[in-house]
Amino acid sequence: MAELRVDGLSKRFGAAVALDGVDLAIRDGAFVALLGPSGCGKTTFLRLLAGLEAPSAGTIRIGGVDVTRLPPERRGLGMMFQSYALFPHMTVAGNLRFPLRMRALGDRAAQEAKVREALRLVRLEGLEERHPRQLSGGQQQRVALARALVADPPVLLLDEPLSNLDAQLRKDMQVELMELHRKIGLTTILVTHDQDEALSLADFVVLMRAGRIEQAGPPREIYARPATAFAARFLGAANLVPVVVRGDLAEVEGAGHVPVEAAQDGPRQLVLRQEDLALRDATRAGEASLPARVVAIAFHGPGLRVVVEAGPHRLDVLAPPDLALRPGDAALLCWQPGKALLL
Amino acid sequence: MVGGTPPVARVLAAALCVVVALFMLVPLAVVVASSFSASEFLVFPPRGWSLRWYAEIFSSRAYVDAAWFSLRLATVVTLLSVALGAAAAIAITRHAVPGSEALTGFFLSPLVVPTILLGVGLLMASSRLAGGPGFWTLVAGHVVVTLPYVVRTVAAVLARADRSVEEAARTMGAPWWRRYWHVVLPQARPGIAAGAFFAFNVSFDEAVVALFLRAPGTETLPLLIYSKLEFSPDPSVAAAATLMILMTALLMVALDRAIGLEKVAA
Repeated sequence: MAELRVDGLSKRFGAAVALDGVDLAIRDGAFVALLGPSGCGKTTFLRLLAGLEAPSAGTIRIGGVDVTRLPPERRGLGMMFQSYALFPHMTVAGNLRFPLRMRALGDRAAQEAKVREALRLVRLEGLEERHPRQLSGGQQQRVALARALVADPPVLLLDEPLSNLDAQLRKDMQVELMELHRKIGLTTILVTHDQDEALSLADFVVLMRAGRIEQAGPPREIYARPATAFAARFLGAANLVPVVVRGDLAEVEGAGHVPVEAAQDGPRQLVLRQEDLALRDATRAGEASLPARVVAIAFHGPGLRVVVEAGPHRLDVLAPPDLALRPGDAALLCWQPGKALLL
Repeated sequence: MVGGTPPVARVLAAALCVVVALFMLVPLAVVVASSFSASEFLVFPPRGWSLRWYAEIFSSRAYVDAAWFSLRLATVVTLLSVALGAAAAIAITRHAVPGSEALTGFFLSPLVVPTILLGVGLLMASSRLAGGPGFWTLVAGHVVVTLPYVVRTVAAVLARADRSVEEAARTMGAPWWRRYWHVVLPQARPGIAAGAFFAFNVSFDEAVVALFLRAPGTETLPLLIYSKLEFSPDPSVAAAATLMILMTALLMVALDRAIGLEKVAA
């Protein structure tokens, strides 16, 4: 286990900048998610940490040691690949023994014991002699995880580890990854494009965009207080409405005036999360509201996703399944001013 | 199926397949049938049936020597072209060798250069550099002809292999030589087996380069068959050819058992 620190880390591929001067300190035992859309540099970041790419500038320190120039085979990290990258010609036990053999960790008996322990950790006991092609996708995923853990690396790197699983299995594995991290407390860095996965798994989320860190912090904090319009949209599926603030009132162009919490005057963006909005006939005490019209309603399991128009603005609303409105109906779009952010 | 192939076209396609298959199989059938002939002369259809020509070739010094020579030649050629061809294919696909596309083209060029040209060139070069024709000159000539098959099959398999498997081995602490041994070579194995199969068959069957580069007094099996046909055509020629077909078929079965032909076909 070790803390990890990068300073001014950059990677250019020809003229393209994949990572642009990133500074980040990760404490020992943290579970960090590198989150962002494809092409934001999160995978390049992970590959730089692993040593699979050489940085154009900057340093990487693991446990206080500068590893920037160290090749991957000498960094001693555990890495799990999106494709799992299992050795198809080796058994499960052979796959798990590989890192122990390469690093000459212990004698044969000690290695066998480590392999058994790692398989027990991912609940795959008894599959030692199977080949990867004889396993289901979920089992292969666990073998890959066990192989990344078996040599007790100081840092565990996970590259989109759950993206090849179906929805139910992915939820199960999220829980297992959390439990695993709680049990062994290994410094873990997860790359994902799924904000839900990042927010639920990690204790520290690094949101990336165009090779830079857009915002970083604990999941609750980053979700509650997005610093930019990009962060608000990517993390919370939030609506952004352009407004002009004057004192404690904001003018929503073409739709009306709403009360806001104290902010500087001038043109701003009002951030309204889907789950903070409600559609009603009348406002409740202290609520802000705008007259709106229902455009479309989509059923999605736990509730309804309703698209409404307030003046020229389109907004998404998460509504309870018993909503009595139909497309074309008029309603009041209501929210507590304290829940709305101004950017 | 909606908008599928009309029945007439399907019947025509099936008929075409049958015609092509017959076209390919008839020469083989003629040779195999003639080899069981009781007659003194190579004629088709054969008159009478016997195994005497098989007995004949196994007791003939010329046939046994030529077969033994061809077998040794093809074995050495196969080992050399697999070693060189696999190394070249790994270099081309796994490292950004400068001009690797041009190199690929270069390695495949013996496939399109007329072998007679190769034969003349190799003869002249070997006379200057290596003291003229001989076993090793012939090996060198055959390796030039067989190398493209190995490069092609190994490079094709490696190009499709998952690169992250090798990267995973790196992160697990494997230095380059252990990655080659434990990851790249196992990945390349179907290509190596297929390349070896082609190299062996091409060398065993090759007559043009052998004609130029053999030492005086040595015969390869194809050359012996050719000279027999020219000067004293009897069914022993067909018997020898039938045994060559049998050997190829057995090698194919072995290849299928070892790695599966469907992996090689691509």
